[in-house]
Amino acid sequence: MATVVILPKQGQSVESCIITEIKKKKGDVVKKGDVLFAYETDKASFEEESPVDGIVLESFYNEGDEVEVLLNMMVIGEPGEDYSGSENIGTENKGADITGADASTIEPTKSTKSTESSPIIQQFNLSEKETPIYRDDSTIQQSFSSPRAKVLAKKEAINITQLSGSGPKGRIIEKDIKAVLENRPKLTSLAKKIVAEEGLQAQGAGSGLAGTTKSTDLVATPMNATYGVDYEDKKLSNMRKLIAKAMHASLQNSAQLTHHLGADARRMLELRKTAKNAFESGKLSTNITLNDMVCFAVIKALKKFPNVNSHFLGDSMRLFNKVHLGLAVDTERGLMVPAVRNADDLSITGLANQLKEVAGSCKKGAIAPELLAADSATFTVSNLGNYGVEMFTPVINLPQSAILGVNTIVPRPKDLGEGVYAFVPYIGLSLTYDHRALDGGEATRFLKQIAIEIETLELDLF
Amino acid sequence: MTYVVKNNKMEIHDLIIIGGGPAGYVAAERAGHKGLKVLLFEKKSMGGVCLNEGCIPTKTLLYSAKTYENALHGDKYGVFGDNIRFDFSKMMARKNKVVRKLVAGVEGKMKMNHVTVIKGEAMIVGRGKEGVEVSCEGNSYKSKNLLICTGSEAFIPPIPGISDSGDIILTNREILDLKEQPSSLVIIGGGVIGMEFASFFNSLGTKVTVVEMLPEILGGLDLEISAMLRDHYAKKGIEFNLNAKVVKVEGNKVIFEKEGKTETIEGDKILVSVGRRAVTAGFGLENLNVELFRGGIKVDEKMRTNVPGVFAAGDVTGFSLLAHTASREGEVVVNNLTGRNDIMRYNAIPGVVYTNPEVAGVGETEESARAKGIKFRIAKLPMAYAGRFVAENEGGSGICKVLVGEKYGEVIGVHMLGNPCSEMIYGACMAIEQEMTIEQLQEVVFPHPTISEILKETIFSF
Repeated sequence: MATVVILPKQGQSVESCIITEIKKKKGDVVKKGDVLFAYETDKASFEEESPVDGIVLESFYNEGDEVEVLLNMMVIGEPGEDYSGSENIGTENKGADITGADASTIEPTKSTKSTESSPIIQQFNLSEKETPIYRDDSTIQQSFSSPRAKVLAKKEAINITQLSGSGPKGRIIEKDIKAVLENRPKLTSLAKKIVAEEGLQAQGAGSGLAGTTKSTDLVATPMNATYGVDYEDKKLSNMRKLIAKAMHASLQNSAQLTHHLGADARRMLELRKTAKNAFESGKLSTNITLNDMVCFAVIKALKKFPNVNSHFLGDSMRLFNKVHLGLAVDTERGLMVPAVRNADDLSITGLANQLKEVAGSCKKGAIAPELLAADSATFTVSNLGNYGVEMFTPVINLPQSAILGVNTIVPRPKDLGEGVYAFVPYIGLSLTYDHRALDGGEATRFLKQIAIEIETLELDLF
Repeated sequence: MTYVVKNNKMEIHDLIIIGGGPAGYVAAERAGHKGLKVLLFEKKSMGGVCLNEGCIPTKTLLYSAKTYENALHGDKYGVFGDNIRFDFSKMMARKNKVVRKLVAGVEGKMKMNHVTVIKGEAMIVGRGKEGVEVSCEGNSYKSKNLLICTGSEAFIPPIPGISDSGDIILTNREILDLKEQPSSLVIIGGGVIGMEFASFFNSLGTKVTVVEMLPEILGGLDLEISAMLRDHYAKKGIEFNLNAKVVKVEGNKVIFEKEGKTETIEGDKILVSVGRRAVTAGFGLENLNVELFRGGIKVDEKMRTNVPGVFAAGDVTGFSLLAHTASREGEVVVNNLTGRNDIMRYNAIPGVVYTNPEVAGVGETEESARAKGIKFRIAKLPMAYAGRFVAENEGGSGICKVLVGEKYGEVIGVHMLGNPCSEMIYGACMAIEQEMTIEQLQEVVFPHPTISEILKETIFSF
């Protein structure tokens, strides 16, 4: 009997995933354990392995499609085996089906959060399942253009979807097309045909009669006058889109500012040396890094400043009893911020282990999506000290109220008393906070508290 | 007005041109017209090979031959004449008169456009801060730019004995100065030049034998048309030896190998027309470090050499070896010098053979398109589809062949056999330059009745 492979549900909040790669196509022979397809949620990517040996009898979706979780992805079985009934139509758990951009939006599903977070992805309720309405962007756009404009645009091979109209309510009128024509290089009729059919574009002066653009002058990507053709346009990954959206939203929707302050790092460096020796000699099973220590100090400070360990929710503040510490992790796929839940319960070794684990999972793409949600952490630490950054302004992971940027350690002159001045290693701390949630005084006191915690750090190493 | 300055205060010209052939004199004319200060050196006679030893004298003679033949065969048209004869020396005299008249015309154009012409051998001295210096008969001349149009000369292959045959051996130059019609003529090389002389002397009754190394005459032209023309002349008495390699010349005997056998033919005269060679020596080119390529001066699409301010046009580039190519190349130089961006295109350069019937073609042939992997469609019609052709070519035959791109139907090649296709081919040049499609050409109105309608007829047969 044929085996149906579904799109697994990766975490509570995940409603749908983007299929990033179909590794086995319809008709391919697969062995148990072969990767069938890869998919990604808004933060992590996964691969689905074949549960059985056989051939791919059917594959319901394509790369780039957004598919709701638990829908049937593929059917594996023996050649010729009947797999009717495995189509997603009438699937009991979901009455809806989601495909890529070529299908129409009928009614956005309200259950997913992605209506907000990823507008590029169209989701819809297929009440009219048997007759999906296909559209391409041009037909939608064309309804906002005058018939004369449409005729001229078609004749002159002008992509009307890329125009903004000057008519009422942005309606594209003939004048707009004529304006494009005036600025466009002269095209031979063959060139026009190719522009219309193959989407190639003219660029600069052509090589034909008196600079006319010939078919051979057309290019897929027009040369930028300044940069030439030394670039490629790359579609954003789903994750990149989400990072972009989150970062932009953070700066647009909050009142962020950053305070910078240095902490005497002598004690911490000493502790680090001890910890390192202990780890290398096998006395300690975990390598406790400076970052672990800073995080440890931050947790202690947060316990003393509950207002910072919070989410700002517009008309209310959510103050947390526990510290769920977010850690910015640089991965190949982009920035991820996994949370260590209940970090205030952990010893320094426990914290170090947990931080390593979540960071490692992110890099492998195996992190649980729940831990990546912005609201799963109460405060975030972003450490660029390793890279020698001396000062930066981290961006708050909303709805959190603040984020700490950790900088590199630089020697600074310090008055050691009794007329003794010395260069002392200082670690830079950059606290970005949402002024809606916190005032400067409190933020500064909190930042100072972190410095104090760092300078007076006590670690129970053994 | 003269720019010859013998003292230190030397005038700087905008453009010095070496060579007054179709590249040089056309460039001089255009540049002078645009107001540039132009100096042109010509060591022989204005007009170059084209006007003095090529295009013009041969066409003049061929017209005499055609007139004679028409008179001879007037009976086909119901016209009878007695004692129809020709006078070889009068034909030659008329040719000389035509050449003189046209040379004077070119000289007049130079004057009209304020071009200074110096009759003498120019020698490039070198290039300095003020541009290029050229000397001629003890005088020195400077110019910001230099255009080299020194043309080409007939290539005499190193066939054993060829240099011992004295004035039996002719090139295009000597054959135009013959005082008497040879009773037999062996032509080594059945290219365009060879075939035009073959046609001329065949019309006058000389026994003509063509020895061609390749499997077909008129290499590079449409193969089918070349074969048709060869058939036509074979019927008119020309003997063709294809795939024949000349191994020796003994006096007036040409010994060649063909299909493993050695054959000997005799002729009063032997015309050597195996090809031409760019003239790159004898005028100080070595003083500029100009890069050469395939025996000619290497140029880019704007006819620039590797030396700034130094250009080359015409046969000296060793590329196209056609007068009309040369003129256009000269114009490209001048356009770019006078602020109009212009590049040389070679895809729509017509090739014409002024035999009787004429051959004309432009663009891709079936053979070249196939070699380039171009996907094309082809249509061909006998010339008799044009009423005017039937009216004026009793018993004549010919063909029109059109190649279009497979997908979009743009004209990529047109090839014709039949008078007066030399006058019609420019229409096809325009179509190819403008990448015109079948549909567009079908909307063009051709005058009726003309032989040019054959192009329209052929286009409609797609």
